[in-house]
Amino acid sequence: MKSENFFIKKANQRKLNRFQENSSLSFACGASAFMGAACVALSYDMKTKALNPVSLGVAGLFLAEALLALLLWSAFKSQVLKKGDVSRGLRLAGSLLVATIVNGNIFCALAGLSLVKKKKNLEYQVGSYMLLVEILIIIVSYLNVFKDYVCDSFFLGMGVLAVVIVIHAVSLPLVAAHVHGNRADKSMMALAVVLIATTVTGNLFSLLLGLMLLRKCCTKDDYVSIAWIDVVKRLFRSQMAVLGAFIIVFLLTISICANLTFDYGIAIDNNYSLILREPSLAYPFGTDDYGRCVFTRVVFGARISLTVGIISTAISIVVGIILGAFAGFYSGTTDNVIMRILDVFMAIPGLLLPIAIIAAFGTNTANITFALGVGAIPSYARTIRASVLTLQDAEFVEAARACGARDKIIIFRHILPNSMAPLIIRATLGIGAGVTAVSSLSYLGLGIAPQIPEWGNILKAGSAYLETNAYMAIFPGFAIVVLVLAFNFLGDGLRDALDPKLK
Amino acid sequence: MKDKLDKLMIRAFGKPLYRIALVLLGLPTFAVAFAAFLSRKSQDEAGYRKIREEAEKEAEADGTLSRIRDNARTYLANKYRHFGRKTDSQEFTRELEKQTARDVEDEIAGRVAGKYEKDGLKKRQTFIQFVCAGLDNQGLLALSLVTSLPMYVLLLISANPYSRYIFERLIMMIFVAFGVVFVVFTILHFASSSPAVNVLGETATAQQIEDFNRVYGLDQPYFIQLLNNFKNLATFNLGNSYSGNEDVMAAILRKFPVTLEMSVYAFIIAVAISIPIGILTAVKPNTAFDYIFMFIALVGLSLPAFWFGMIMILTFSINSHILPASYVEGNKLSLLMPAIVSGTHLAASLARNTRSALLEVLGQDYIVTARAKGLSNIRVIVKHALGNAMIPIVTVAGLQFGGTLGGSAIIEKVFNVKGIGSYVVDKQFLPDIPAILGGVVYVSIIISLVNLAVDLIYVYLDPRIKSRLKSA
Repeated sequence: MKSENFFIKKANQRKLNRFQENSSLSFACGASAFMGAACVALSYDMKTKALNPVSLGVAGLFLAEALLALLLWSAFKSQVLKKGDVSRGLRLAGSLLVATIVNGNIFCALAGLSLVKKKKNLEYQVGSYMLLVEILIIIVSYLNVFKDYVCDSFFLGMGVLAVVIVIHAVSLPLVAAHVHGNRADKSMMALAVVLIATTVTGNLFSLLLGLMLLRKCCTKDDYVSIAWIDVVKRLFRSQMAVLGAFIIVFLLTISICANLTFDYGIAIDNNYSLILREPSLAYPFGTDDYGRCVFTRVVFGARISLTVGIISTAISIVVGIILGAFAGFYSGTTDNVIMRILDVFMAIPGLLLPIAIIAAFGTNTANITFALGVGAIPSYARTIRASVLTLQDAEFVEAARACGARDKIIIFRHILPNSMAPLIIRATLGIGAGVTAVSSLSYLGLGIAPQIPEWGNILKAGSAYLETNAYMAIFPGFAIVVLVLAFNFLGDGLRDALDPKLK
Repeated sequence: MKDKLDKLMIRAFGKPLYRIALVLLGLPTFAVAFAAFLSRKSQDEAGYRKIREEAEKEAEADGTLSRIRDNARTYLANKYRHFGRKTDSQEFTRELEKQTARDVEDEIAGRVAGKYEKDGLKKRQTFIQFVCAGLDNQGLLALSLVTSLPMYVLLLISANPYSRYIFERLIMMIFVAFGVVFVVFTILHFASSSPAVNVLGETATAQQIEDFNRVYGLDQPYFIQLLNNFKNLATFNLGNSYSGNEDVMAAILRKFPVTLEMSVYAFIIAVAISIPIGILTAVKPNTAFDYIFMFIALVGLSLPAFWFGMIMILTFSINSHILPASYVEGNKLSLLMPAIVSGTHLAASLARNTRSALLEVLGQDYIVTARAKGLSNIRVIVKHALGNAMIPIVTVAGLQFGGTLGGSAIIEKVFNVKGIGSYVVDKQFLPDIPAILGGVVYVSIIISLVNLAVDLIYVYLDPRIKSRLKSA
């Protein structure tokens, strides 16, 4: 027998869940506390059994912010439960949370943005992420000021970023006011074009927002839901998935913006006066055995990891789709021949096939991309073949065939679009695996040339100094884990968002 | 007994690959039978032609054929009109001719068959029926048993569904092994770097390089070298490695047990941790416990093995001196860290899969029924849910175990474990073709065997798969 309390609790929960702020505040609270705890754990030096004051300070900051979020959250809960609404004062207090972006606490900043605004729509949500990415980029770029010199294009880059931030900040209240349900005011068309133009910084959220605005400007009947926007809406319901997307967009943006605001020279030129410095404000991740700034190297390394990960996955997807679709559609001999050949490639374990290809054709970025792409083809082909086989008996395929559609049309217009969901999920996870594979190859000495900043290279250099300068190996590793984790979060979120059972 | 043999033979002969195998293995029987069949066929053929002519005449006489032609024309014209196409086009005539010919042939064939039956004549035998009939003779059967025993062994294997399945998989594995040799050798053969220069050093004279190439057969054309490699694989003699000139087979047999030991430890650790976590998170979904452990699992999935290994060395060897940093032969404790590192990925994906498989099963109606019967929660989960969720769990466990066996090269490099993965990677740089080929083929065969074992476990876990296997 459930107690009476149980039902009251459930009713309260339902009341709270009506507000987006509830989940974002709780997430902000938990995530900040987690970050704080992680910083405390990292500040402990096992050898000297002492705590590092700098990271302890950062931990304190995060914990304080977690406390702030907790306070606001409890205030929010009591107000909602008592009055069913949130007071203006509390909403204004949300701007305090937005300010936490200064030390990179995006969780609190997002919760703050969500709390500040009363009427919110999907566009406002996407816009907040878009704005936070740019702000975070400018903060990270600002760290360069502490170095002896900045590169020539630094101020140009910062100026561009500032302009973009202003545009994004202005557009945030605009989209919240001018988009109603599935329709947007015609005036949003111009804003959409501007937002799409700002995508040159690599900020994919602004591209997404721009496309959504354009699509909603063109809509005639706002009762008709737009399929892909529904997927985006479901995706943005999951905090973890959007966090993953945020990290990916952040790394993409920084790898593009770094060309202006970071000095490539610091990342590759030897500087013997700066060998093996401990992390400091000027060199946040320290310097390596050639006196190069590890932080700058990690920033520039994102470029290679992302490019190789994405392009190699694209190669394997395209070839995998073609082979898998043909094998599944033309069962019998074609299927047998294709699958038996793929079996041979499947049988070569792990990284050994890419390693053999790279050993044979030489180590450069193009070959590594190609090798990793070839290595992953069989698994994609199998995924596609499986879904083509199940879809082949579907009624809409039969209908298409009865209408006299050609095989090509049936495969590419009817079957493949319907088997995309598992593929997109796999691809997201595949890019993450690709990133790991690139750095693994570099670690084995089969990857990118050692002077080029690439995460595996930095790690390999760091592994030689594990006893004395462990930070050299720790930070690039964190970068890899964070990027791969981001892709995994996004993949999980996409799986839930694309699940046809939810439709 | 003889009926069963006939049935087996006819069924096996119906499958193209089995037909080739049967003819090759039972060449003496089939050669004799084929000669006899040819001589019989010419007699049969004459009789058949006569009867067919009669049937054609009859059909023409009673107007059946003209009726068929008319029907075909009306049907096709209707179809064309429906789709709005012209009936006077060339395409129409062509299609009509085809359709008519088909219908007429059907009619005639039916009449011929009827005539054969009515007259009590012997039907035309197919070749395999002829062979079976010939083997009714005890003497011929005994002779055939002696001369083409392998064929009967093959038939015996194909009689039992399990042995047939295993046999087919093993044959497939052999083909895959040859395919692997072909792919890897082709890639390495066209490598830009020459093994001779890499082994002998930059200072090697042209004469030394030529000698080296002659000794290892590298001066021969591509196809000869490929054939040699196939021959080596077939005779289980993997040749000698270029550097050090050691026997590759011996080297692999020395190194593989280390990798196997590490993988088994990793597997045990992973299963012991992940299955309980997977079950608990599925039983209490969307709770803090679930979120935390699934987050940890996702982190475990995202950790690059070599970095995690380095962090482990840093924490447990350099900073606190608890475990040895690198592998020492004979020291089991030194395999613990590599096993934990390679077990992490395994455990993470196993926990996630256990959770999702169990969650899916827990939503089924029969679980509600089991609960409604008043069974205890533990009994429902262990007996009713877990048993049904086992297939995906075993699949992932098998795949991942195979993966650790073959893909642990990087972990082996980090901890300096002298296993097969690091052996192959070390040899890539030359490239030391025999060593790489040997290592890759060996590992791929082991992985295929693991997959086969997993498929056989399915049969015991799921009676549906068993019945499907038997009816196939």
